[in-house]
Amino acid sequence: MVEGRPEQSGKLEQDLRKGVLVLAVLSQLRAPQYGYSLRQALAERGMPIEEGTLYPLLRRLEGQGLLASEWRIDDGPPRRYYTLSPEGAESYRDLTAAWGSLTSVVGRLLNEES
Amino acid sequence: MDPDVIIESYVSNVVSRLPRRQRADVGFELRSLLREELAGRAEDAGRPADEAMAMALLGDFGRPQEVADRYRPAGFTIIRPADAPQFAWIALGGVALQWAITLPAAYLDPSIAIWAASAGVAGAWWAPLPAWWLTWGLGAFWWPGFLITITIIASAIRHRRRGEQESPAGSAAPTEWAAEPAPAATSTAARRIPPQVLDRDRVNRPGLVLALAFWMLGATVLIALPWLPQLAPDLPQPLLDAFAFDPEFLQWRAPWVLVLWAVSFAVVFAELVAGRSTRTTRLVSVVGGAAWLVLLTWCLAAGPIFTAPATDGVVRLCLVGIMVITAIDLIVTLRRGVMPMREPVVGG
Repeated sequence: MVEGRPEQSGKLEQDLRKGVLVLAVLSQLRAPQYGYSLRQALAERGMPIEEGTLYPLLRRLEGQGLLASEWRIDDGPPRRYYTLSPEGAESYRDLTAAWGSLTSVVGRLLNEES
Repeated sequence: MDPDVIIESYVSNVVSRLPRRQRADVGFELRSLLREELAGRAEDAGRPADEAMAMALLGDFGRPQEVADRYRPAGFTIIRPADAPQFAWIALGGVALQWAITLPAAYLDPSIAIWAASAGVAGAWWAPLPAWWLTWGLGAFWWPGFLITITIIASAIRHRRRGEQESPAGSAAPTEWAAEPAPAATSTAARRIPPQVLDRDRVNRPGLVLALAFWMLGATVLIALPWLPQLAPDLPQPLLDAFAFDPEFLQWRAPWVLVLWAVSFAVVFAELVAGRSTRTTRLVSVVGGAAWLVLLTWCLAAGPIFTAPATDGVVRLCLVGIMVITAIDLIVTLRRGVMPMREPVVGG
């Protein structure tokens, strides 16, 4: 069945956001954050991410060695804080460079079109 | 109901689907995060958290199965989408082929007829079916099971190798979030792919030379067998008798075997010289394959091939095997395409 245009656009946008999700998360973890505070920080900066997507993603990135984590008690219950590992910091730099190049190319493509 | 109890139940449902070593850690964190999320929602709503609010939060979070899937690292593909139709055809075709052979055989099997008589259903058209279903009918499903087992092992090995190639120590690109690599996108990726994968018409020259050598050896043996008593008179008589051709086979059927052998040899030799198979060689192979099937059917149906029954039986079994391989090769060659691609209709 062919989807309606709004549904299709919504899915395409979702796919687009998925591609930059990791970079957005890494960008906010140069300083330690726990899951809920990270989600709030991203939402405040215009990048809302569903909790069901973000929390497992943090675990997976940690499993890949890009994040380090530890349990801490600051003001409230124990929380698991995540931050970039040395390998994650390196990946973050690479991805940032790739993102810069990508936005520049896509920007040129879009400008050509208009 | 206490929202914390609902969250507790949800978390335990999620973690029960995770590896045992992760459960406590993930469960503790997930519980803590969900409680904070709920507190955040309650604050936004300006009222204490309740059951409806907790259910809405968990509904947004997702089904426990899906959440557990997200916590697990990405798995690996067992059957690629492009291979799925072919896999289904081979798996189901194998079952259908076994049924096509064993079902008629069940109607002819005297032991099944005896069983049907003892069960008091002799003569009924369906009488052999229960015995067939409980033996060959269900037994035929070994084939899809075998294919899946082999595919899983192959996929696991491929996944492991790919992981080793793409994530060396210190690599900046973890496999999970990196896009599935496009094999031919970069020159380094292209170099890793065997040439036969990129150009499937390319032939394996050493393999072909070996095949041709065996081919020649087989033809030589076939030609030499009738003169075996003259060529090796010291061999014991029973051995000579065992490899004596049936005179009728030698006179009528054997020459055609040699003719087709020569044609097949010429095709393979042409591919060896060119270094690749072409549409012409594939077309000749298809015609040759069909001719082999006809000839072998004739050889089997027209009478004995060897005078000794034991040798004849073994050779017949081998010929059936060769027919199956030829049929598979024929189908594969046909699927690779012997007809030119039809040009699309271009609108004015």
